Amino acid sequence: MKLAVSGKGGSGKTTLSATLARLFARRGFSVLAIDGDPNPNLGVALGVTSSGLATLHPLPRTIIEERADASGTKQTVLTQSIEDITSDHGVPAPDGVTLMLTARVDHPGAG
Amino acid sequence: MLGQLMEHAQQLTIVDMEASIEHMSRGTVRQTDMMLVVTEPYYRSLETTGRTANLARGLGIKQVYVVANKVRSPQDEVAIRHYCAERDLEIIAVLPFDDDVRQADNAGTPILDREPQPAYVGMVDQLVSRLLATTEQQAVGEGVA
Repeated sequence: MKLAVSGKGGSGKTTLSATLARLFARRGFSVLAIDGDPNPNLGVALGVTSSGLATLHPLPRTIIEERADASGTKQTVLTQSIEDITSDHGVPAPDGVTLMLTARVDHPGAG
Repeated sequence: MLGQLMEHAQQLTIVDMEASIEHMSRGTVRQTDMMLVVTEPYYRSLETTGRTANLARGLGIKQVYVVANKVRSPQDEVAIRHYCAERDLEIIAVLPFDDDVRQADNAGTPILDREPQPAYVGMVDQLVSRLLATTEQQAVGEGVA
């Protein structure tokens, strides 16, 4: 299941996303939690350790590229396997959740 | 990029979106099975929720649900239900205001790690069950085993 959580700042969307992620993981799902917010807080809400948070960085653009298929239509594809991307850029969170950051960080000093 | 990640990702992917979904790419939309729009029981939050839900539907996301959050009174719940009913928005969960959530936020600690377990956690766990049931129904409806 691919679930997107939206809402105004302060609505509680990040607390809900984090809680859902860990509760799904406790039910045995392999969970990828993606922080797409330019002011990222999901790691803290999940309970990622401070050393984990220190290694968290936005995914580089190089993980995707455009390739033309046989008919010449351009397709965006991953340049690495999801497993490699997870091990290179994912940060472990409690209950076995993996956290990744996609958004560009507007406030690198925050958090 | 988000869409590509979601396509290849594991069993369950949860994306904490930015506040505005206007810039959601087609790739991400295609990969999104379901969008939860978190709302608070006051006018501006509800208005944002209405706009976001419309946009999400317009983008082609089939399952869009409202999660009512920080509900303090029966009147709060009535206000949200009234707003959503008028706009044909389905509410999938009503989560009460829980001071434990505020305290956890302030402390920068996960609500899940508080003892004893806050009421909020039990309510979100019920939401997990409902999401799983909804997905199963959807799969049956589409003829997927």
